This record gives sequence, structure tokens and C-alpha cells, in this order.
Amino acid sequence: MSTTASALSATVALRRNDKASTAATLVEMCTVHLGSQVFGVPITHILEIVGSARPQPVPLAPVFVGGLVHYRGDVLTTVSLRQLLDMPTKEGRQDLLVLESAGGIFGLLVDSVGEVLTVSSTDYESNPSILDERRRALFAGAYKLKDSLLVMLDPEQLDPMRLSAARAA
Amino acid sequence: MDELTREFLIESQEGLDRMERCLTDLEERPQDAGLIGDIFRSVHTIKGTTGFLGFKRLEKLAHAGENLLGLLRENKLTANREIITGLLKLLDGLRSILKTIEAEDAEGEGDDSVLIGCLEELQQPAQTEVKQPAHAHAGASTQGAPPPPAAAKSMPAPASAQPPDEPVLTAQASAQPVETKPATAPVAEAESDPAKQRAQGSAAESTLRVDVTLLNRMMNLVGELVLTRNQVLQATSADPNMTMLSRRLDMVTADLRESVMKARMQPVSNIFSKMPRIVRDLSQALGRRVRLQVEGQDTELDKSLLEAIKDPLTHAVRNSLDHGIEPPEVRQAAGKNPEGILKLRAAQEGSHVIIEVYDDGAGINVEKVRQKAIERGLITPDRAAHLAERELLQLIFLPGFSTAAAVTNVSGRGVGMDVVRTNVEKIGGKVEIDSRAGKGTTLRLRIPLTLAIIPALIVRSVDQSFALPQGALSELVHIPPEQAAAAIEWIENAPLYRLRGKLLPLVFLDRLLMPDVEHKMTTERDNFIAVLDPDGRRFGLVVDGLADPEEIVVKPLSAVLKDIGLFSGATVLGNADLALILDPGSIAMKAGVAMREEEVARAAEEETDAEAAKSLEYLLVEAGGRQAAVPLSEVLRIEQLPLSRIEYIGYRPVLNFEGQLLPVEDSGGVLAAVEGNPQAQIIVVVCREGNRHVGIAVSHVLDVAAGGDLFEAGTALHTSGVTLLKNRVTGVVDLGGVAPLPASEQAQAAWSQTTETVS
Repeated sequence: MSTTASALSATVALRRNDKASTAATLVEMCTVHLGSQVFGVPITHILEIVGSARPQPVPLAPVFVGGLVHYRGDVLTTVSLRQLLDMPTKEGRQDLLVLESAGGIFGLLVDSVGEVLTVSSTDYESNPSILDERRRALFAGAYKLKDSLLVMLDPEQLDPMRLSAARAA
Repeated sequence: MDELTREFLIESQEGLDRMERCLTDLEERPQDAGLIGDIFRSVHTIKGTTGFLGFKRLEKLAHAGENLLGLLRENKLTANREIITGLLKLLDGLRSILKTIEAEDAEGEGDDSVLIGCLEELQQPAQTEVKQPAHAHAGASTQGAPPPPAAAKSMPAPASAQPPDEPVLTAQASAQPVETKPATAPVAEAESDPAKQRAQGSAAESTLRVDVTLLNRMMNLVGELVLTRNQVLQATSADPNMTMLSRRLDMVTADLRESVMKARMQPVSNIFSKMPRIVRDLSQALGRRVRLQVEGQDTELDKSLLEAIKDPLTHAVRNSLDHGIEPPEVRQAAGKNPEGILKLRAAQEGSHVIIEVYDDGAGINVEKVRQKAIERGLITPDRAAHLAERELLQLIFLPGFSTAAAVTNVSGRGVGMDVVRTNVEKIGGKVEIDSRAGKGTTLRLRIPLTLAIIPALIVRSVDQSFALPQGALSELVHIPPEQAAAAIEWIENAPLYRLRGKLLPLVFLDRLLMPDVEHKMTTERDNFIAVLDPDGRRFGLVVDGLADPEEIVVKPLSAVLKDIGLFSGATVLGNADLALILDPGSIAMKAGVAMREEEVARAAEEETDAEAAKSLEYLLVEAGGRQAAVPLSEVLRIEQLPLSRIEYIGYRPVLNFEGQLLPVEDSGGVLAAVEGNPQAQIIVVVCREGNRHVGIAVSHVLDVAAGGDLFEAGTALHTSGVTLLKNRVTGVVDLGGVAPLPASEQAQAAWSQTTETVS
């Protein structure tokens, strides 16, 4: 699993480097906050941002499942980013990103949604090798900002189906 | 393709569907003028419109059919089997051309002369009568020519507003020689026709075709609206000015939601109605005699699911005819009615719609299945030897399996059952088969109600709402905290409840959902036991609270959550809360793991019970202060009637029951007890005994219960045995001991006659 994941991020990196070699492309990223950490989600994968969602817990569900939310007539399974990164659960309101992946749509629960940043592909670097395996699978490299790093989340990897498959493996 | 053509295609398809139904009915009632009229109109409308759109090939074929139908309508011909077969061929011909038009926007190059010739030949008897065989043909070829002046003159204004009617007039005028009939007759008919068509048209105008994707979208939007409404209601609850408005919004939203949900549902009759034709054609091709019975046509199913089961169902029906029902001679030799029965039944059962295809044919020969499976290499001989009958039956669902000795063009290509299962499983359904050699086969399709609306009881547990489908729910028991200690008994850690004297295993929903958390003791809270009976596994689900029943829309869960195995879906409740839908079957299975001991014991018990149960279920009755049992399998009906209905032959009480005399057994003294009060209501249990019926007078009917296999030597004159029913030794009424009536022979004859009609 880890090998395929790192291979995947490597190809992502390669692709971005290819682009970088021809011209610096600008990409728009939505920042999300989790405690003091900031992550980026490519806006091309975001269908909608729902403020203060109250997900319905699902007993016996895998820990990363943040519950169910009602979204436009469908029932969405949400992924709790806090649970996924082994952070303590947070009481009170959380923001919800409705994401689209190859497997369908799902929700991502974060502490709060920040702003949309435009970053340049020239600032991109792939996951560092010292990162632990699980995070290497979830993160898709980082953009070097002026005073911080914007860690990218890969919506494909966050898909609940894929997460449960990864756990099973 | 232009709008006009498309509309024509849809309209024609509907017309042909109607024609198909009428044709199969016509076979049973060949004289029914209404049916012939309907068929005529369908073909006539097609012919009229094609002339208008310029589809010459279609027009010619429809015209040939119309000529034949015209003769039928005028009673010059009677619809016999050949004619109906011919008309069905016409129907297929028309359909195939319509299909070509739909695909290519042109009618294609096919040659219909054989079919047209066949249709013309069928007109022969009438044609020779009027001695103008060539005329109809001439009529067909001069189609495009203006109508004869005589007809044109007598044609009133409305007819010219209805161009489709013109050709029919020509056709009739030419088919009807002038010398035999006055020209006014066809004209009058042509005039009455548009009126009828208008009446039909208005029925068609009241419906509208809507794209299913649009309906899906509407459904989702309505869901959104419901949510928004709830928020509006909450936000405005404090403002008195808004109360009226928000209440109205509330009502309108609820109505809208219901209507949109209903719009997606269609009765299964939509697919069942295709079956008579299939059965007719196949039974003729295969030389079978089959009567088709249909039940539960109104059962509704979501449109997309209905589409998905159409093919599997057709397959199943074909299979029943080809492999199930035997040829009449074989049936007769086996002592069966030469006419086989094919039964289609639909019913909603909990969160599923069950569709059954039953035939009373030869059943599946399990040995043959075993041999075939080995032959085809689908299973090793070793394993085959160890498989139980039920498991062997499942083999027929394997790809490449077919027991038909000869490959017929109906089935037997080894794809049938395999396809049925794959298609049904694709939509999350299940296929079950049950077969008894010599008796028949039942194929059961369990179709889930995903997307469908199901009634559910909303229950509370672990501070959440859950929806419990009402189909599996048989009753509710409330145990207040102060009674819990006494009412709930334990064997080790398996909780049990005595429900009418029988032990009911309990499953605590909170403990099942959150096994790692400490839960309130049963004595500290209200306990509600929902008695569930999924797949024959009876158990009580204990929840903390009950809310209102609600009609819920089942929303699918993502695979991650489906894997938990307790929830069949989720739904949005009226208060916009989400609720998971509990799956009673899975809960039973899951809980069975925790209470294994009890489960095993129960399963073993059930196994022995299941075999005995069929013959050993009893109707528990009370007669003269004593309880007695009547074998349930022998009970035909229970009648409540005034004492005045009981008459006497000598000292023997008898009941004049639907024109037949029924000896009434009164060993309990029930009749004697109310003697002198002709208005007193008494209960008579009508039973079958051999080839006669007898009545047992009882004071109350108490229950139905399974008795143990405890027959002993008779203890009283009228007792053939005793059985343990609900922990009481209960005498079984000896039906054979009821003496025949004095007028023995006559009565016997009468009774055996009734028995025949009943069975």
C-alpha cells in the first residue's frame, strides 16, 4: 500500500515538475485549518463548503468516519480529518467540505475553512521521505509559502472507500 | 427525428401494448365487441398517422391488418386461434418496423408481403362470401388516391378535421361491395369513431411523460426544501406574524414531498401485463396448457427497479413453462389437472418487495441437478455427495448450468437462471428457489426497496433516532423500569422475555451498537421491546424509546457503512434529522454471535420444529371450559353465527352451510349451554376430514400454536391424541370420530363434491 501511495505521489510530483519545466502554472487551493495546522485542498475537487455541519454519528463505523450528513437529498459519509490524523476530537461546530473523488462524493470535516490561495507549481515539493507511512499516503506534497508550508491533501486518498481498504490492508 | 415522429412512435407503442393485452383477452372472449373495437382503433390510428407521416411500408401492413379487423368488427369473421395468431404476428411486424424507425428514422427495406398475404388469407371465408377477393388488394394499392366521391360527400366536417379517418373509409368502402351493404353504414361508423377516439384522447391527455432523471432531481430538491422548511420553522417560531405563513409552508412542503415520491412509483402490473402474451406464445410453441394467475398487481416499486427486474422475470416465466410445467399428457398420467398453473405474485414484505413465480409442474429433480453439475464440472463428485437438497438447488444458478435435455429455442441454453440471479443481485436483490419433485417450483425474487418509500417506526437508542421497517415488526411490548427486573430473565448473559409463555430472546440495541460503553440498567429506564420476525428468526429488540411511525425514503449508504452490516440505509426524518435504517435480519445474525449458545439451541429446535410444524400446528380453542386443539392444516374456516342457524336432524346438530349440510360436533356442550337463546352467537370451526367437512362448535378461538410431537394413546372417546400446547396438555379433537350424517350416501356425495371444488 505504502509503495503504491508513494509511487502515486511521485507521479503527481513528476507531473507537476513537468509542468514547472515548461512554465510555472498557478493553482488555486482552499486552505483548511485543523488546530494550528493548515492544509490545502485543490478547489477543483470541492463541490461545496458547508459551514457548521452537525453530522449524525454512525455506531460501529470505522473511526475515521465522522458521521452522516444530509447533502442535497443524498446522505453523505463524512471523513473526520482529526480522527484520520489521530488528533483529539473537537467539540462544537465543524466545517464541512463536500469533495468529489473518482469513487463518488463524500464529506470532509475540518475545524474551519480558511481562504483560497493561488500557489505556483514552482513552489511544489513532494512528500519528504521522513514522513510516516500513513501520512505519506494522505498527503500529496506541500507548497512552500512565504512563511509556512501548505500541506496538500489528496481527495482521492481521503475517499472513505479507499481509507477503509487501506485500513484493511 | 422530428417531434411529430417521436410522438407517433410513443403513441403507437402504447397502442400496440394495449392491442397485445386485448388480443390475449380476446382469445378467452372471442365475441367481445369492445375488445375488437379497441384493437381496431390501435391499428387504425397507426395506419392513419403513418399515411400522414409517409411511412408507406408501415401503412401497407397496418392496412392489411385493419381489413381483417374490420371483418371481425362486423361479425363477418369470428376470432379463432389462427386469426389471433395472425394478429399477434401483425403486432410483432408493426413493432419491428417501429423499432427500425426509432433507430434509423426510416422504416427499412424489409418485405412484409408474406405477413400481408397471411393476413389476407385469413380474410378468405368472408371474402369468398362477398365474392371480391381482389378488391381488398386494390384498396390497398389505391391507398393514396382520393376517397370515392360518394364517401367524400357524405363525410361531415369533423371527419375532414380528422385526416386519419379518411383512409379507413376508403378501405371499408372498397372492402364492402356496394351491392351487399348500403353505403351509409360505414359512414355512420366512421362518424362514431372519432367520438370514441376523442374520449380516449382525453384519458391520454391526463397523463404526461416525464424524464426519470428529472424526477430524481425533483426528489433531491424536495429533500432540500424540507430541510430549509425546518430551519425556517425554527427561526420563525418566536414570531407570531410568521406562524401562519410557516405553517402553510410546512403543509405545502409535506404535500409536495409526498407527491414527488409517489411519482416515481409504478405498480408491478406494468411488467406483469406483458406476461399473458409470453405465456400464450410459449405454451402454444411448447404444447403446454397453462393458466396464468396474477396476484398483487398493485404492489408498487420504484421505476428503475421495475425496469431492472423485467428481464429476470421474463426468464423465470420462460423457465417455468419450459422446464416446469409438463405437457398435458404427462400431467394427466401423473394425476394432475392437464392445465398447469403459473402464478405470479407480488407483495411487499418489510423492506423488500417479493415477486414469486410459482408453477405446479414437475419440480426440479435434485438428482439430475447433481449429475449435471458433476458432468459440467461445476462441482466435484465428492462435494456433490455431501450437499443437502437445498444447496443442490442453488447449483442451477451457476453459469453454464442447464438441465434441459434438449436445447429448445425457449430456454436451455444454460444462461437462464444465471442471468436471473446476476440481474437481481445487481440491484441488491436476492433470488431463492424452492422446489418439490412432482409438486412444483417457486422462484422468489426479493427486491430491495432502495429509493422506495417504506413505513417505519422511529425508535430511539444511544441518543439517536433509528428507523425500524414495519414489515418485520409484529408487536411492541413496554416494560417500565420497575417491572424490568421481573420481566426480563437471563440465562447466563442471554436476556429473555416471556411473551405469552414462550421465551423470546432479547437484543439490546444500545449494547449492540456500543459494546464498549456502560449502559443504563434495564431497571433505570423504560424498555420497549420491538418483537421482530425476520426470516423466521424471532427476537425482541430492546430500545429506549419510541417515536412516531413515519413513511421514510430509503437513501443508500456508502459501502464503508454498509459493511457494518446492521444498517440497510439511511433516511431523513420529518424533523430533518438523519436516521439509520436498521436491518432486522442482520441484527439477528449479528446478535446471534453474542448469544451463540442460545442460538444454536434455538436453531436445532427450529430445525426439528420446521419439519414437524407443518402438520403439528394447532388451532387452540375453548369448548365448554376446556381447551382443545384442532390440527390447523385441517381447518378450512372459522364461522361466527347465531344459534338459530343450527338445525337438527334427529338429535344431531347440523349447519346448513352454503347450501351444504355440515354435521356439527358438540362434545363440549357449547350448543347446549346457550340453548333457548336463538340470537346467541356461537363459533363453528369448519374442518376437513377425509373427503368431507365437519364443524366443531366452540366457545372461543384462542390462538394458533405449534404442538410438540407428543401423541399418546387416546385418553377419551373423542380424542385421538394429546399434545403439549403452551405448556398445557391439550386434547386434540378427533375429526374422524365425528359420525357421518344419517343420509350417509347422499351427504357423502355432496361433501366429496364440495371438497373437490375447494381443493
